Amino acid sequence: MLPQFNYVRAQSLEEAQQQLSTDGARVCAGGSDLLGCLRDDVFDCSKVVSISSLNQLRGIARTRDGGIRIGSLTPIAEVAASATVQETHAGLSQAASEVASPQLRNQGTIGGNICQKPRCWYYRGEFHCLRKGGTTCYALAGENQYHCILGGYRCYIVHPSDTAPALLALNATVHIAAPSGSRTVPLDEFHVHPRDDPQRETVLQGNEIVTEITLPAPPPGLRSSYRKVRARGSWDFALAGVALALAFNGDQVVSGRIVLSGAAPVPWRSREAENAVIGRRIDAATAREAAAAAMEDATALKRNAYKIPLFKGLVEQQLLAIAGA
Amino acid sequence: MNKPNEARYYVHGVEVPQTPPARAKDQEPWDETRVLGEPLPRVDGYERVSGTAVYPADMSLPRMLYGAILRCPHPSAVVTGVDTSGAEGMAGVHAVISAFTPEDDTTRPHDELIRSTLFNTRCRYEGEAVAAVAAESPYIAHDALRAINVEYEVLPFVADERRALEPDAPKVHETGNQVSDTERYERGDVEQGLREADVVLEEEYRCECEIHTPMEPHGCVASWDGDRLTIWESTQGVYNIQTQVAASLGVPLSKVRVVGHYMGGGFGSKLQAGRYTLTAALLAKQTARPVKLTLTREETYLAVGNRPPSNMRLKAGVKRDGTLTALDYSGTGTGGAARAGGTSLLDWLIRDLYLCPNVRTELTDVYVNAGPARPFRAPGHPQCAWALEQMMDALAVAIDMDPVQLRLKNVPTVSQGRNGIPYTTTGLQRCLEEGAREFRWEETKNEIASGDLNGDIRRGVGMGSGLWAGGGGGPPSTAIVKIYSDGSINLNMGASDIGTGTKTVMAMVVAEELGVSHEDIQVEHADTGTTQYATASGGSKTVPTESPAVRAAAIDAREQLFEIAAEEMEVDVSVLSLRDGKVVATGETPREVNVAELQGLRRRGNITGVGYRGPNPSDKAVNPFAAQFCEVEVNIKTGEVNVVRFLGAHDSGRVMNRLTYQNQVFGGITMGIGLGMTEQRLLDVDQTGKMVNKNWHDYKLPTAVDVPADMTCVPIDPHDTECNTTGAKGIGEPATIPTAAVVANAVYHATGVRITDTPIDPTKLVNALAAARGGE
Ligand SMILES: Cc1cc2nc3c(=O)[nH]c(=O)nc-3n(C[C@H](O)[C@H](O)[C@H](O)COP(=O)(O)OP(=O)(O)OC[C@H]3O[C@@H](n4cnc5c(N)ncnc54)[C@H](O)[C@@H]3O)c2cc1C
Repeated sequence: MLPQFNYVRAQSLEEAQQQLSTDGARVCAGGSDLLGCLRDDVFDCSKVVSISSLNQLRGIARTRDGGIRIGSLTPIAEVAASATVQETHAGLSQAASEVASPQLRNQGTIGGNICQKPRCWYYRGEFHCLRKGGTTCYALAGENQYHCILGGYRCYIVHPSDTAPALLALNATVHIAAPSGSRTVPLDEFHVHPRDDPQRETVLQGNEIVTEITLPAPPPGLRSSYRKVRARGSWDFALAGVALALAFNGDQVVSGRIVLSGAAPVPWRSREAENAVIGRRIDAATAREAAAAAMEDATALKRNAYKIPLFKGLVEQQLLAIAGA
Repeated sequence: MNKPNEARYYVHGVEVPQTPPARAKDQEPWDETRVLGEPLPRVDGYERVSGTAVYPADMSLPRMLYGAILRCPHPSAVVTGVDTSGAEGMAGVHAVISAFTPEDDTTRPHDELIRSTLFNTRCRYEGEAVAAVAAESPYIAHDALRAINVEYEVLPFVADERRALEPDAPKVHETGNQVSDTERYERGDVEQGLREADVVLEEEYRCECEIHTPMEPHGCVASWDGDRLTIWESTQGVYNIQTQVAASLGVPLSKVRVVGHYMGGGFGSKLQAGRYTLTAALLAKQTARPVKLTLTREETYLAVGNRPPSNMRLKAGVKRDGTLTALDYSGTGTGGAARAGGTSLLDWLIRDLYLCPNVRTELTDVYVNAGPARPFRAPGHPQCAWALEQMMDALAVAIDMDPVQLRLKNVPTVSQGRNGIPYTTTGLQRCLEEGAREFRWEETKNEIASGDLNGDIRRGVGMGSGLWAGGGGGPPSTAIVKIYSDGSINLNMGASDIGTGTKTVMAMVVAEELGVSHEDIQVEHADTGTTQYATASGGSKTVPTESPAVRAAAIDAREQLFEIAAEEMEVDVSVLSLRDGKVVATGETPREVNVAELQGLRRRGNITGVGYRGPNPSDKAVNPFAAQFCEVEVNIKTGEVNVVRFLGAHDSGRVMNRLTYQNQVFGGITMGIGLGMTEQRLLDVDQTGKMVNKNWHDYKLPTAVDVPADMTCVPIDPHDTECNTTGAKGIGEPATIPTAAVVANAVYHATGVRITDTPIDPTKLVNALAAARGGE
């Protein structure tokens, strides 16, 4: 059962920010993640500030330089179906279509997707864990089959978003409205690693609102893709996922990014894997090398060792697929 | 003791009176049918789909309050104090009860061996009830729960049944963690059998604990009128609830009315009254207002049943020609902190499914600090099949024999688990042969064998068979069929329709006998105040139990009608038949009269036909049989398994309704895919003992994309004339028995990797595949 809270639907960005300056106020976009957190008592919330009336935050448009601008309130389903996105940034469309279930993709927004709280069952459950201000990460010695193999530090969550890895691979920028004006943050720097603060997931301050996400024009020869492996076919987060955004010149990879989901507490850019393919043609051997490189620093917890061969297999298959090899 | 315990399983604790013999006791099942067997839509399809059907969770009564239960968050703790003052002071809160309030003198139903009061101060599993409230709204009720302060002394626990018998394991009960003596069964000479074998294999298997998670959570509405109590309960059997509530509250049965018209799924977990039922009744009594108590989803994961986890070891011997020489099997399981059947029927397939002279089994049930088990669609069987059917597959490979042929070689002629009495019918051979033919088993195997092995996708096929220890039904059951003076017809029976189509099938039985359409039959059911006694709908016995009684009632009504008609039409009864609401007399000058025009019927007002369920054949076993087949594709780098198609060939006797029959087969396969591929209760065994995935997202039921669109149902009807007067056996449970093992066998065929622990998903398969590829 939901606990008591106040509810306001802001009519302007300014009003939303003003409402958010009360302690314990939370932004609500589609509510698909927030309401679950409230029901499960994950954090206190005295006021829910809905931004769903702010229509200026909706929509997908091509920017003048050939990039894309996506309003933060745009439903994930719309991102998945957008011809504009598919035309130049197919990997994002693929990632959006892998999110949750049709119902959740209609209700959930792209802004909410990159801001969502982790799905660790200790964090979501009745456990006073490190991320909730406690002293231990229960995952470390507990049921950690879905937890991280890279980047774990005191807290061993994996970042739950499917769209964030694709956005990161595609070099996205997050636009944030703050009371003091607006600011932009590259997606690289948007998510907070537990080493820096195990109690926050993003750099957002309490009264800041994500207004839009922009993608730069695709470099020549850009190909992008996203694939995720999960324990069941729908309505499930990634056991392992990989977002690729690679620029090809002929069959040579000239630049690009490889980002893993389901691997680390934040969307995880694998520079090791990138280095193994950039400047090369992707054949079976390169793909295998890059896959191994991606797992070089991986360490398994008690119950998630499968992730290492899984990522290897997945990265290898996806590299070969994108190269058309 | 070689006696099967299936009968006890479902009617345990319920007195079973012998009913008078059926009036039409010499009835043979029909040769030809007009209505039965047709693919007819459900009589309540409109209500269910449009939302007008009122489930207990939908009930609303004037002045109704909402109950909620506070549950112990620890797997093992002593409640040293409950401070309810915060809750009592809240506006809108009408009652707060706990172990420390005088109302709690109620003993818990359905558990003679461990008596406990409604609220325990010694909590032995996470989710045990500690206190309850009744309030004006569900929100106030839950706010009130938050305001109750409980002091716990947290105790050490054991949550993993594999550790429960270790010497230093915390004791769940003072008597220790083994529930009772290990249950043993033996026939023949296993050692000798193993010596005679050409090949002996041994393997360990494990099935994870599954939760029923019915769509409608458990719950009820309780309302007192003076000393009379009415309960609307989401249940599989209103009479079970009536008996348990009356006994626990000390109220005469006649004063307890239980209504259960619609219910949103139970799968075995709603055969009994819950503590929540008694809690609702007590809160209603105390507040003198109706109280609705619907459990939250989380509560249904903790406190109202599960399919126990099973650990099995099987050693089997076979000759080169496929003759099984020995089966040596042991299993452990747990019903949680209760004596709840942690190893129920876990060895039945070993005892009974295949011809084998030398068999030994032993079952050990242990306590752990976890929620109680309850019957779950074919208790014990899918787990046992997971072991036995994978073993059969491995034996077939070892002796280089086709797995269908190996099973055909060992089709039993008699029920060996019951000292060799015959089955009324066994369609196992036909299930295997016709199933394999429809599936194109041989052809597909050949295609795969000659297919190319490039790329990362491998195809495989698998199969397995099964039988269900129950499925024959039996007395008691009473049904009433009324023919009103306008010719309209009413069927009155106590049985619950748990979503399987019971009302539809029974209306079809009446329609068959009374010459009308099944849609013309008004069905009254599942109400202890107004309908006849019936046992709970469980054990795949509802159709074989109820349909003969319903048929007998329809025949009784028809005979009475014919007496009236014969007199008025001045013909002999023997020339009469019923068609479209008319009594038809054949003969030299055929005549017909509308039933509504019969003066004798008008004067009487209506005809009441009564039917009873007669006894089963005394020296024979009635069992359904099955063979299932599937095809999978496996991505050998990622461990993803795509189930491409499934086929279920089932001998469940007569097909009463082709649609509801097929529903059960497809639903059973879907559920079996859940056991085999996605579902598992996860307890934090190493730290807190708490369940970590008690929600519909983390506890993974298969979705529409996890089950194949390509499903085939092949009914095998052996025309059983002995099992009962309708020739039907149960289908609900057999449909899910071999499924998980069939998937495992197909994955093995595709990859050469055998996964012996459920569920088969990338977390298991990818490691095994990588290991099989060798050090890549
Ligand atoms: C059962 C289930 C399965 C799921 N499976 C997947 C999956 O497979 N892959 C996946 O990627 N996701 C999955 N999700 C998550 C889902 O995609 C998110 O819930 C959704 O994207 C959140 O969007 P929303 O608009 O509903 O956000 P809300 O619930 O409204 O908000 C989520 C969080 O972000 C904050 N927030 C929202 N919008 C803004 C904004 N504009 N500025 C600042 N802060 C903001 C909120 O305060 C809140 O903390 C699943 C969710 C559920 C419930």
